[in-house]
Formats: sequence, structure tokens, C-alpha cells
Amino acid sequence: MSPRPKVEHLRKPQIIAAAADVLYERGLFDTRIGDIAERAGTSSPTILYYFESKDRLLEEAVDYTDRDFYARLLDGQAQREGAADKLVHLIEETSLGPGGLSDWTLWMEMWVRARRDPAVRSTYFRLDRRQRKLIADIVREGQASGDFAGEVDPDEFAIALSGLMDGLGVQVTLGQPDVTAERMVKRCLAMASAELGCELQPSDVTVKRGASR
Amino acid sequence: MSGRVSARERILAAAVGQIASEGIDGVRIARIAMEARVSPALVHYHFATRDALLAEALDYSYVHAGQARITSGEELPDTTHAARLQSMVEACLPATESLRQDWVLWVELWLRAARTPELRPVAEELYARLHAWFADEITAGVNDGEFARCDPDDVADRALALIDGYGIRTLIGDRGIPLERAQRSVSAALARELGLGGEQLTATRAA
Repeated sequence: MSPRPKVEHLRKPQIIAAAADVLYERGLFDTRIGDIAERAGTSSPTILYYFESKDRLLEEAVDYTDRDFYARLLDGQAQREGAADKLVHLIEETSLGPGGLSDWTLWMEMWVRARRDPAVRSTYFRLDRRQRKLIADIVREGQASGDFAGEVDPDEFAIALSGLMDGLGVQVTLGQPDVTAERMVKRCLAMASAELGCELQPSDVTVKRGASR
Repeated sequence: MSGRVSARERILAAAVGQIASEGIDGVRIARIAMEARVSPALVHYHFATRDALLAEALDYSYVHAGQARITSGEELPDTTHAARLQSMVEACLPATESLRQDWVLWVELWLRAARTPELRPVAEELYARLHAWFADEITAGVNDGEFARCDPDDVADRALALIDGYGIRTLIGDRGIPLERAQRSVSAALARELGLGGEQLTATRAA
């Protein structure tokens, strides 16, 4: 047995990780707190001690998967030189991801809950703004360096691109015929190229994935 | 009250309202039956499962609540293809109460279909209908020389994705993206793709 303080420290993240898995697999409605407790190796009362409801667990779970996504994304961004490469990278990471938790299922869950729960709604807005800010910052960087056309409003572009990625991401998640992750990348790059007055090309990642299918 | 409305239709109308307010998971069959003035057994008779009810309710909502879309044939402005496209964009965003309801069902369907593969053909069918609607109008506009040459399927796909992306934010109530802004932005993106000079498909309507 580990000393108790250490366990306490670990317990919350463990519960959130378990909640993310279970909520992704089953959905909010069909998930019982007991399912999450079982996955996390703890008890329902312990979970309810930390989180008052399934909605709170959903918020934390999405925040957790999103932070994970950002850690990976920012890691990759740091290795890219120039705004064009950064934007291509962001579009590819968002569209291709590692599958599983990074698809749109948990976002859909949020959209459905956000209409009824103000807390879920504000969490959604916060996460959405974070992504839009990242996009807008890349655009500003590209405009400053002359890579992107200057007349585009970076914030307006950010809404359009994240809207397009959401719309296509839903279709990819639902396995719509003709809408693969690779096509999503191409669509987003075409849109960004047209709006920003540049030629964005997919990286080897997209090319390889497309060929292996 | 018209006596000609069938029980099945009353059930669907009640289901649309219930799903929109409670979500497909929260819907209670007894409540729908009460609202439709039928017995719960009859609801089960018409719709064996929740998924069947959701699928049919969506179809019903698409056809009935989206009056703007369905009567489109006659009611769309016949002036220009651009004006028609503009009206189509407006009819696809959550502008009216019935369109908002239709949207809520649409989002519920996404979530449900993500986990229930049997529901995916329902989503596929709805996407295909919307896609054909847009692609046909764009093709006609290209043929009449009003729009620049383009791949109508491609433009239609992008239009629908943008509508979904903006629509969801408008529906949830992102104050930064009110309905007018969503309409303007989708319209502007389409105008650029179709090689129209202005900032919008058509001149902004008087508020």
C-alpha cells in the first residue's frame, strides 16, 4: 500500500481518465458512476466526493482529452518553422489524430449537454476559444511574415476553419461515405489556401496515410 | 383540430418536441403517448425501438418543421441562383423555432449514430438529400454562367460542413456567433468559392 497522501493525489486524474474512456464508449446516458468507479479501481462514493454529477465528469473528461491533444499539438508546433507549416500541422493533427478519443464523439456529447447545462456550455466555449485562438495566432504570425494575405481577419478565419473542421469531423466520425480523414485534410487545406492566398500542401503524414488505405 | 391527422403523425409531432426538449435518451414513451392522445402500446406498435423513433422523428422534422426547405421549390426567390442559395443557407441554420428544433434532433442524431451503426444510414440519407439540394443549385448556377466553374460536389460539401460548424455554435448560444454572423460568414465563403464579386451571395437584406 502506498502512503495515503500519494493515493489522494493520484486519484482524481485517474478517475478523470477512466471517465473519459467509459463516457466515450457508452455515452453519458448509459454510463453509471459505478462503471467509472470500476474502471478507475475506486468506489462510487469516492467519485461523487470529487465530482458532483456525470455532467461534471463529462466536462473534466473532455478537458482532459483536449489537454492531451494540445500537449501533443504544441509539441509538434514547436518543431515547425513558419506559419504555413504550423497551420498544415494543426489541420492534420485535428483531422487525423490517433483516432479513438480524439474523434468527435465526446464533443457531440458536449453539444447535446451544453444546451441543457450552463456549466457544460461555458466549458465548451472555453475549449472552443482555445482552439480558435491558436488558429488566429498562427494566421497573425503568417501575416506578419508575409506568408499569408494581410486582408483576412484572423479571428473570423479561425471561426470558419474550426467550424469547417467540426462539420467535417462529425461526418468522419459517423463514417460518411466519401468523407475520410484524408479528404478532410484536403478540404481544410483548400479552404485555408484560398482564404489566406497561399498554397498549403499536405505533409508526408497525410500522403502516407491516404496511400495505405 | 383536424381529424385527418393520423395517430402516427401525432406521435411523431409529439416525439419531435419531446426529443428537442429532453433529448432522445430522456424521452419517455408515456409522455409522447399522452401528448399524441394515444396509448403507449400504440407508440410501441408504430416504433419498436427508441432508435426507430429517433430516425422517423428526424425525417418528420426535416420534412415538416423545415417548411422553408420543403416548399423551397416554389418559395425560393426565382431571381438569381445566388439569391436562391442565400435562402437555402438561411433555411439550414437554426433561424426559427422549428428550425432550432430540427437542429437539436440533428445533433442528437450525430451523437446517437456515433455509437449506433444502424443509425448511420439515417444520417447518410439526410446528408445526401442536403448535398443534392445544394449541388443541383450550384450546378444550375454554373451552367447559367452565374457562378464560376467549380466542382459543385466539392462546394456543396464544404457549404454543408460550414453550416454544421457555425450552426452548432449558434444553436448552443455562443454570443460571438449569433445567427446573423453565421449566415453572413457561410454566405461570404460560398460567394468567394463561386467567384461572385461581392462580400455575400446577395446584397444584405434590410434588417
